[in-house]
Amino acid sequence: MKNNLMKGLALVSASVLGVTGISLAPANASASNKTVIVQESNALSGLNTAVNGKNLLTNSNVLSPTGSGFYYYNNKAQLVRNTAFGTYKITQNSCTATATAPKATLDAQFGCFKVTYTIKKGLKYSDGTLITAQDLLLSHAISSSDYSIKAGLGDPASDDGSKFDSAGYGGAYDDHTRAGSFDLSDDNFSVTVSYDAFMPDWAIFGPGPGAVHALVGLAKGKKVLGTTRVNASYKSLFEDAYFGAMATLPASTDPDYADELEARNDARKLMTAMAGKWSTAWNITTVDSTTNPLLLVANGPFMLESCTSSACTLKKNPYASLSGSPKVTGNLEKLIFKFTSGTLDDTAVAQAIKAGTVDMYSGAATSAFWSIASTAPGVTTNKGVVLTYEHLDLRSGDSIFPMGSPASPYTITIGGETINCDAPYNGPFKGNTQRAKDLRKAYMLVVPRQTIANTYVGKVFDPSFTGTSPTLDSLLSVTSEGDYAKVVAGSSAYVADFKKDQATRVAMALALVKKYYPSAAAGSNSITVRHLTSSRPMRVDNAGVITTEAAKAGIKVEHSVRSRWSAELDCNYFDSAEFAWVKTSLSQTGSNANYESDGSNNSAGWNDPTLDSLFSQFEKEQTATSLITTKINAEKQLWSNYYSLPMFQWPGAAAWNSDIKNVLPNPLAPEVTWNPWALSY
Amino acid sequence: MLAYIGRRISIALLILFGSTYLTYQLAAYSGDPLAGIRESQDPKKEQIMAELTKFYQLDVPPPARYFLWLQKALGFATGTPDFGTSAIMRLPVIDQIAEAIPVTIRLVTAATILAIVLGITFGVLSAIRQYSRLDYSLTFLSFLLYSLPIFWVAVMLKEYMAIQFNLFLVDPKINLVANGITSALLAVVLAGFVSGTRRRVLITLVSSFAIFMSLFYVLSLTNWFRTPGLGIWGVAFLGLATSVGLTHVFAGLHNRKALYAGIASVAVGVAVYQPFGTIVNETGNFGILMLMGALMLSVSYFVGYFFSKIDKGPIIRSSMLSAFFVALFTVADRAMQAWPEYYRLSDGKPVQVDGSYNIAMKSNDFWVNNLDIVTHLILPTTALTLISFAGYLRYSRASVLEVLGMDYIRTARAKGVPEREVILRHALRNSMIPLTTLIAFDIAGIVGGAIITERVFSWKGMGSLANDAIVSQDLNLLMGTFSITAFLAVMATLAADLIYTALDPRIRIRK
Repeated sequence: MKNNLMKGLALVSASVLGVTGISLAPANASASNKTVIVQESNALSGLNTAVNGKNLLTNSNVLSPTGSGFYYYNNKAQLVRNTAFGTYKITQNSCTATATAPKATLDAQFGCFKVTYTIKKGLKYSDGTLITAQDLLLSHAISSSDYSIKAGLGDPASDDGSKFDSAGYGGAYDDHTRAGSFDLSDDNFSVTVSYDAFMPDWAIFGPGPGAVHALVGLAKGKKVLGTTRVNASYKSLFEDAYFGAMATLPASTDPDYADELEARNDARKLMTAMAGKWSTAWNITTVDSTTNPLLLVANGPFMLESCTSSACTLKKNPYASLSGSPKVTGNLEKLIFKFTSGTLDDTAVAQAIKAGTVDMYSGAATSAFWSIASTAPGVTTNKGVVLTYEHLDLRSGDSIFPMGSPASPYTITIGGETINCDAPYNGPFKGNTQRAKDLRKAYMLVVPRQTIANTYVGKVFDPSFTGTSPTLDSLLSVTSEGDYAKVVAGSSAYVADFKKDQATRVAMALALVKKYYPSAAAGSNSITVRHLTSSRPMRVDNAGVITTEAAKAGIKVEHSVRSRWSAELDCNYFDSAEFAWVKTSLSQTGSNANYESDGSNNSAGWNDPTLDSLFSQFEKEQTATSLITTKINAEKQLWSNYYSLPMFQWPGAAAWNSDIKNVLPNPLAPEVTWNPWALSY
Repeated sequence: MLAYIGRRISIALLILFGSTYLTYQLAAYSGDPLAGIRESQDPKKEQIMAELTKFYQLDVPPPARYFLWLQKALGFATGTPDFGTSAIMRLPVIDQIAEAIPVTIRLVTAATILAIVLGITFGVLSAIRQYSRLDYSLTFLSFLLYSLPIFWVAVMLKEYMAIQFNLFLVDPKINLVANGITSALLAVVLAGFVSGTRRRVLITLVSSFAIFMSLFYVLSLTNWFRTPGLGIWGVAFLGLATSVGLTHVFAGLHNRKALYAGIASVAVGVAVYQPFGTIVNETGNFGILMLMGALMLSVSYFVGYFFSKIDKGPIIRSSMLSAFFVALFTVADRAMQAWPEYYRLSDGKPVQVDGSYNIAMKSNDFWVNNLDIVTHLILPTTALTLISFAGYLRYSRASVLEVLGMDYIRTARAKGVPEREVILRHALRNSMIPLTTLIAFDIAGIVGGAIITERVFSWKGMGSLANDAIVSQDLNLLMGTFSITAFLAVMATLAADLIYTALDPRIRIRK
């Protein structure tokens, strides 16, 4: 009804326009100014994305064109080595135990895996200072808890934390490096990083450059850029402080003890001052001519010129060609990131693109956005995906993360009944018996995956869509990953049942239920499945269609919409839950946390030794081919035990001013600005 | 009186406590701030969740957490009130609010004032011509506007007043058909205001149609939309017309003194047209404009004073109103002269669809920058005014109608008071009393912002701040915006009650 009304009004307006003779010419006729305006959602909250709480997507998107490093992701989600910045290679690989081995074993083999990073000589920051491997040391100081402790900066895990208020501590890198993991080469252009085990995702653990001369300058209270000579001396100061702060002292009886203690204290004092500046100086949201230029030293094709709560303007880095950025081929003068308030209005963004006040945007696709942007003259649009996929998890046991304590269990109230979430799971899907597997399969079979995908993918782009949208058929790879097709082909026999038509699948499901409940029939409610979702309309609607289809197979679905659904994924009361997984990076071990029996994302109580041993393969070194084989094996085990049903990958959309060349939307952030060096009018 | 205020303030504090407590609990129980990160496959998810749990104090149950918040907000521990840090931006809430309030005030003030002025004017008109063509048209229009959803109005305004208008400006020629339709529409609207015989209406219709048509023809021919301006003669003509019109309404054309005083003020305005241009061309800023405006008004006061012997009021009013409008036209004319430069700098997109200023435009020209602000204000202000105008129109119409039926109006008419005086002095003033509450609330509501309008037009004011806070479960931010809005609302009711007693001598505060 509403749609018809809108159409009617649009028609009337169009005819009025026709009569009044106002012609519709392309909106973005002028492209003379070489400025690109990119729409972001949140506003900038700080210029140092590694500080706790400042790792907002907007911050990293805005700052990404101001930096270069050893690698980047291209629009095919491939990791590309950036040889313009430098090279890296494994220089030692002799580990026997994997990263999951006990700590003592790993300590004993520390140094068995080494990667050497070499910066190309002659690269310069935007202030003309040479980029050297000393600039890589900072990234270890802000990521290694061991370093922070040994350098007297505090234990990041303690309440006081480290003097570096860094979000970098913790995780695999921190676990498998030591304070002294970084060795600087004599020429100051290489560092070698030592690990205590083979790191499957070693490539993305590479250090990034930080302008340490600027940090030393800030710690010394400087407010202007230093000269080349001063900056070089600052670099040495940093290097000395970095290593000096974690120096081991001789015995207190040693004649040098007092001197060495004093030297170490001096080093720690400088490191502490720098840590203080590092943690606070960049937490600014306004940049203008009065901003300390030391904060704006950059090594990307662009550098910050100004920032307000409405926008950040980036200008060309005078040293762009020496910044370590891939060859600059674009002719942009300015790159402006425009901020809306936190919640982006899709219609507003689409109209802004049509009006030419925004040049580029990329994000989740909605029909409101698509219908305006795709028909706007002078605008190019792209249908894509985002790295988020919708799926259904089926519980097989108790969550390993109890929600309360034995003394005060976590309780919820559903239908007037008080439920103890931590009570052992006793539902129809319990365990890995044939019965549990059959019932899980029956429930998975009734889910109308195709209809759901058509609604939330195809119809987003075209309300009258009648074709079939792709469903997601892998739990380990998303469609944006290069190996998706191969993984799906390898496990296709296991997915085949779930690709049959709806009537066939419901019949198969009913037959499976009948095995255990001979009287089962449509509407017999032979088994009850308690289904958990958030209040997101899509999930509520899906729960509705699943309930209807399940009833035909004798399965009763009790659907609960819970505001605390995400915490209650750990509630043993629920048999199934629909939610999305958001991939933030594409790493070899990225899915381990989901499916390993002690995985931090495993809330459904899956406990499968076969699966554990398959996933442990991801901790080891893999070639591209062996990785696909490992993935296929894991997929087979997952699909044949009916733990989780992937549904579809969320659609993404990008739209940009057609005058801009080389726009290649990337499912990974920064989506449309990952190649600022190539964007051009 | 003081005791009354004291009592009211203590009740207000209780209300504030209750409402903040309820809001805090509702917000805290309505969702899970960790939901977003729980869906993430970030390898450092556990650290992030631990950090967020510590930040949000999720280990403290919401009823207790409220008091932790309250303690900080009231500044018990440190002596200075602290609204905490927002969760998403990790910036002090008070800083974010301080940045948002001016934006919101800029957005909502103009719309609120316009809605009040237009709403009351048309409401009164509608009431004194009850059951006329005009009354029916305005009633229809107000119900139509009242029922429009603002997000839809915004979309339409952006499409036709910005995107298509900017396209029109590429080659601003109005063809005959378009001119005919537009002029006919405007003529019908104008004729609607005219009462009287069918002949009179018809004459108005035909003559205004002819005038509009030739006006548009000339504007189109002279490329006026790209190089607009009024010129000294335009200012003089518009000033005179406005002056005569205003005198007609407020004093009556038979009051020759008032008419002459108005015309004299217009003459003064026209006389300073050139010097004004010279001064503002050298130093254009708000201070100078305000100073010159004040000067103009005081001169016109004396002009009015000079012309009047008895009954100074209407004459001075007529003189000052004329001066105000002639000054307004002069400023508008100067701003129009900056239009071609603004048009060039805005890259041929003068009317913008989002934001409060053009982020890509750099100019040091006072007029260009203000044109930029005005062109960003046009759409949201129009949207807000269209919708809130209707409310004022209905309220003031009803109020005036009620007063017109009062005995004292009949008495005034019976004792021979001219109808203009009856309406302006007796009816209008009394009918405005009930509107006080409404106006006080709306003015307090300005700071609260307009959530939907700010969002669809990408303005970063209080409304979008509150919206962000709700969406992201950012309790500190939400409570910061809510506390301020709630405080102002409570104070506005108090102010409205106090104003009431001042306006209506019959109402007395009980001791």
